Amino acid sequence: MAFIKQKTQQSINEDERSAPRDFDGLCLELNHDDAQVRRWAIRDLATYTQASSTLAARLKIEDNSSVRTAILDALAKFSDDISVSALVDCLRSDEASLRNEAIEVLKSEPEQVAPIIENLLNDSDSDVRIFAVNILESLQHQNVEKWLISVINNDSHINVCATAVDLLSEVGTENAVNALENLKCRFADEPYICFTVDLALQRIRQGDH
Amino acid sequence: MKNILVIDDAATVRLYHCNILISAGYHTDEAINGIEALEKALTHHFDLYIVDINMPKMDGYEFLKELRSKDIPQAPAIMVSTESAKNDEMLAYNAGANLYLVKPVKPDELLSFTRILLGEGI
Repeated sequence: MAFIKQKTQQSINEDERSAPRDFDGLCLELNHDDAQVRRWAIRDLATYTQASSTLAARLKIEDNSSVRTAILDALAKFSDDISVSALVDCLRSDEASLRNEAIEVLKSEPEQVAPIIENLLNDSDSDVRIFAVNILESLQHQNVEKWLISVINNDSHINVCATAVDLLSEVGTENAVNALENLKCRFADEPYICFTVDLALQRIRQGDH
Repeated sequence: MKNILVIDDAATVRLYHCNILISAGYHTDEAINGIEALEKALTHHFDLYIVDINMPKMDGYEFLKELRSKDIPQAPAIMVSTESAKNDEMLAYNAGANLYLVKPVKPDELLSFTRILLGEGI
């Protein structure tokens, strides 16, 4: 039987050291078979401001979850248009874990996300609109309540509205009362909407937030 | 009394589902994500899980896959999601769900499927 040498930590480190640690060398290592080498390359690429497009491209094909998380962390540090665009693309992914990681990263970038949030709230995909409302949860922007009121006034999808009402029950003020009451009339035969609107109205009237 | 774990990151959804189940005589517990749910599942007995898909830290698929891989008494799971267009339903069943429902779930619907999965009939 042939003896197959297992790849050890030492040999991985040797691989890492053998590659040039400049920008081009690190980009090449993004295609390395070993996930740990790819993670190291991403860590080092995060110090290069021009790496965001390279990492955004890698994110589309990377199938290792820990390497993907490293890319998302790096993109969060860049916080440029390319990074935000790559993160928004993740909202359309079929993979729940990638979507959720992207939402968490986008929540941490209020200044970059605020200019595009209205587009996301009007996206043709209702799932993206729901994720956009999820992002609003911790956006800490002065227009959050206004955006949420607009959603429940105009969006026809029940789950987009329901998600917005959940958030309004935390951040809503008297300004949201009319819109909430109108929504309850619009979805009068939907028990969940009635339940969550009543809860939101109760909390707003009690000043419970 | 049958014990049901409701797993959802949205507090309002957890409250809604728990209220429905409690009003029908079930005992409920809650978890805000898959990690907390897994910890509870490994230390407490549950007769049914109601699992959201999109949750931070550990989503519903990961939770169910982890749960099904454990050598513990297994209970049925209803997976609920806001999404209906993607391949979530197939993924839910592949992860180990017994039923996939699209939110918002109506009270009668939730109770009917709960009774069926608990072997209580309708």
